[in-house]
Amino acid sequence: MNTLFEYLPILLPVILIQLILMVTALVHVLRHPNYRFGNKVVWIVIVVFIQIIGPIIYFAFGRGEDE
Amino acid sequence: MNVLEIEDLKKKFGSHQVLDGLSIAVPEHSVFGFLGKNGAGKTTTMKIVLGLLQSDGGEVRVLGEKSVYGQNAANRFIGYLPDVPEFYSYMTPVEYLRLCGQITGMKEKQIRLKSEELLELVGLKGVKKRIGGFSRGMKQRLGIAQALFNEPKLLICDEPTSALDPVGRREVLDIMEQVREKTTVIFSTHVLTDVERICDRVAVLNNGKTVMEGRLDEIRDRHRKNALLIAFERKENLKRFIEEPVFRKLLTASKKEGCQVIIEAADIEQAESELIRGLNETQIMPSRLEILEPSLEGLFMEAIQ
Amino acid sequence: MRAYAAFTKKEFTEFTRTYKLLILGLVFLLFGIMSPLAAKYMPEIISQFMPAGMEIEVSAPTALDSWMQFFKNISQLGLFVAVILFGGIMSSEYSRGTLIHMLTKGLPRRTVVLAKFTAASLLWTGAYLLCFGAAYGYTWFYWRSDANMSGLSVAIAATWLFGIFLLAITILGSVLCRNSYGCLLFTGIAVVLQFLLNMLPKIKEFNPLELITEGTPLLQGQIETGLFLKPTIIACVGTLLCVTLSCIIFNKKKL
Repeated sequence: MNTLFEYLPILLPVILIQLILMVTALVHVLRHPNYRFGNKVVWIVIVVFIQIIGPIIYFAFGRGEDE
Repeated sequence: MNVLEIEDLKKKFGSHQVLDGLSIAVPEHSVFGFLGKNGAGKTTTMKIVLGLLQSDGGEVRVLGEKSVYGQNAANRFIGYLPDVPEFYSYMTPVEYLRLCGQITGMKEKQIRLKSEELLELVGLKGVKKRIGGFSRGMKQRLGIAQALFNEPKLLICDEPTSALDPVGRREVLDIMEQVREKTTVIFSTHVLTDVERICDRVAVLNNGKTVMEGRLDEIRDRHRKNALLIAFERKENLKRFIEEPVFRKLLTASKKEGCQVIIEAADIEQAESELIRGLNETQIMPSRLEILEPSLEGLFMEAIQ
Repeated sequence: MRAYAAFTKKEFTEFTRTYKLLILGLVFLLFGIMSPLAAKYMPEIISQFMPAGMEIEVSAPTALDSWMQFFKNISQLGLFVAVILFGGIMSSEYSRGTLIHMLTKGLPRRTVVLAKFTAASLLWTGAYLLCFGAAYGYTWFYWRSDANMSGLSVAIAATWLFGIFLLAITILGSVLCRNSYGCLLFTGIAVVLQFLLNMLPKIKEFNPLELITEGTPLLQGQIETGLFLKPTIIACVGTLLCVTLSCIIFNKKKL
């Protein structure tokens, strides 16, 4: 597993982008509790555990209207 | 000159004939109340005027220009406020109005001045938050601002007050009253008190046709009945009044409704003076005495029978 | 013209404030970075996780592997993400009735369609350039001058064009269908149709799909650049056709 740590500096941007996506989506899920469908728990699970695609699906389909 | 002319308009939804030869003419600088039951076809008519729906027959002209379905050039004369106005919720009112100005080709300076003026008019000046966080009433008021933005010759409002609380309703009506000098207003409603407050003309829609149209005061005159209303506070006064022989002649054509009596007479002034003299003699004091005006509600109910 | 510019700008505002721009940018950046990384480290990672004693012949990764990964990611996931994000570009306006105010003010309907197509194309172009830039940077970092392979610019342009073509189809779908799922289905069917048509050799040489499937063979030197000519023409004509058709249909659309 040591090799993985060797690659960490190179992988950092990738991890960073995934984190930004996840956190932005997560914050939005928590701040705007109106969704087109589904509920808070479902969206938290989707956003946190489905890498990359989760936040996309949330912003494209799940995001409710601004209140 | 007529701002809007509708002739023999027909529209069918499935087997339901919504509009069946509707004709209306709206002269310049009037506030035109468009009345009818829910589902009478008011919204349908407006959408056809705006080219948002296709009619099955008939003609619509806005300032003499024919209104067509789809890409409708006559829309440049019209400002439209839908019953539930929807905006881009991520914009602020100022940004939204700027977009409205830009798509109609106004100059930046003009847009700024007009935005300020209209936001002041509708009471949204200095509101910085995005439209997504607006209340129904605020959206309705912004709706009026956007409808007036390109200085339309004709302002069409679809039930502008029906979703609002009494305060919001009052504000919207006040605004509409203020703009009547600049433009012609058509608004649909089923709230008759709103019509009484600001309209000078009405058309009543029933079964796809106009069943009553004209100046509100003329319609009132035409339907005026020569009748007096006399009301009493207490039952025993009413009883004394009816049994009193002095009034027997007056009461031949009358009807009793609760604690009040409606007296019909050919010569209303003579009847009134007789009544007052009689009341004076007998010392029966009514709580109210008035010449009956035909109520819009009565006229409306009569028209859609 | 000003109405067109204003409405295009409105689309950009919408994409920024509804987080779609952020998503698009980050995802494409991620694809751009991941492609060279995957090419570089996949062999090592695979051998790490192989059971002891098992040996596989793994050749040293090259710049070609990096670009192959890039085209694979873009043509599968990248376009997929773009279509999902742009699929609701019309339906969100239908379902909420937000276009009513714009159209009743005399905004020509074709301007709406053209502005939306322009905005989508520009966003796709931007995201794609970002993705390419990241991939190029990393590929250069690992393989230096090998990064700029012969045929790369043609392959890059071909994939970009296919993206534009796909967006035109998406716009047509969103004009035809009332909701975004219908639009996605329409675009999906259009792509599947192209895959099916690719089985017929006579049609294959004209198929716009060639623009994304033949990028790798071009880099490998298996085919000539000239093969892209016919699909390019078809894709351009198809794009024009889709946009024109969208305008015509939208002109008569009930809102």
